[in-house]
Amino acid sequence: MSQVLSQEKSIYLQISEMIENDILRDIILEEERIPSTNEMAKLYSINPATAAKGINILVDRGIVYKKRGIGMFVMSGAKESIKERRKLEFYDKYISSVIKEAKSLGISKEEIVSMIMKEV
Amino acid sequence: MKKIICKNVSKCYKKKMVLDNINLEIESDKIYGLIGRNGAGKTTLLSLIAAHNPVTSGDIRLDDEIIWENPKALEYICFARQVAPNNPTSAKNYLKIASMHYPNWDKEYADELVKIFELDVKTPLFKLSKGMQSMVTIIVALASKSQFTFIDEPVAGLDVIARDLFYKLLIEEYTESHRTFIISTHIIDEASDVFEEVIMINDHKIILKENTEELLSRAYYISGKEEKVDEITKGLDCYHTDTIGRSKSTTVLLKDGQMIEEDSDVTVKSVSLQNLFVALCGKDV
Repeated sequence: MSQVLSQEKSIYLQISEMIENDILRDIILEEERIPSTNEMAKLYSINPATAAKGINILVDRGIVYKKRGIGMFVMSGAKESIKERRKLEFYDKYISSVIKEAKSLGISKEEIVSMIMKEV
Repeated sequence: MKKIICKNVSKCYKKKMVLDNINLEIESDKIYGLIGRNGAGKTTLLSLIAAHNPVTSGDIRLDDEIIWENPKALEYICFARQVAPNNPTSAKNYLKIASMHYPNWDKEYADELVKIFELDVKTPLFKLSKGMQSMVTIIVALASKSQFTFIDEPVAGLDVIARDLFYKLLIEEYTESHRTFIISTHIIDEASDVFEEVIMINDHKIILKENTEELLSRAYYISGKEEKVDEITKGLDCYHTDTIGRSKSTTVLLKDGQMIEEDSDVTVKSVSLQNLFVALCGKDV
């Protein structure tokens, strides 16, 4: 939770993404408490309602759950399910924009494939 | 939960219309940002709600009660104005007067804030820099502990570190107290994440009042070849349109159900609150 917020993207999406990144990087472990809405609001100088919106996305995705009176905790298995979902999003987020840019530059299918093969 | 309601409020100074038929509802437990150009009527609006200034027509109520000349209602309201530039009193005295004025004044908190801001409390206010004068405004606002607190340009003249400090203190106080704040400012982008709702005034009218996040989610900057941009923005509300040669750019604000069709020939970008404000309130040159 130490990244800088940008203006490019909705703040609540950045909040949910940052928490997910921290889970992927073992900065927050499964069954551990995540920072509260108020803690995040103070840390980033954002409205607590925005921070809550970001956390709610993770609740909907089954990444975190509420323990009454204590706070929000990372679900066990969360790390794996974040990876699964991000794999599904990988195409929309990265591949399709690569193809879009390639098209506008007139790069052929074969060229794209060979570029990728060189890297992986 | 208490509410402030402005109904058909207008204000004229002699023949000059400053606010024109304002209808506004201020709810409890929210941070509002009030933005508008110089002379748009921001300070006047806040001074009317706080009953520092009588309305020309319309009424302003706290729940059902008219606020004007109503000491009971006024206990809930603090309007922290900018310090008058020629004020000869010291910050110490100024805060003392404020402490007598606001029934929920928190002296310990005020003293703590003086320390945090390293404010010189002995020097006459007019000898302080603009930034230090703003700190006095901020301290009055926060320490008043009023349920509805309005702050007029709290960050004017403050350096970036003090501004950052202000937003942190504001959020801290807000999360602990659930007070309502209305903050008027010209430094929009850095404050936009703090505002749950934004109220925009232009030409003496409120042109929008909306959840900041939702407002920005329907605003886009579109640029590309003129015909393509025209095609994509057909039927949409466009602001601040520019053309250079064959290229065109515009800012759109989508209505319910509208969307932008993706096209590889145009660039679609999200818009910051400041850019949106310029698009909506700026004059095309």
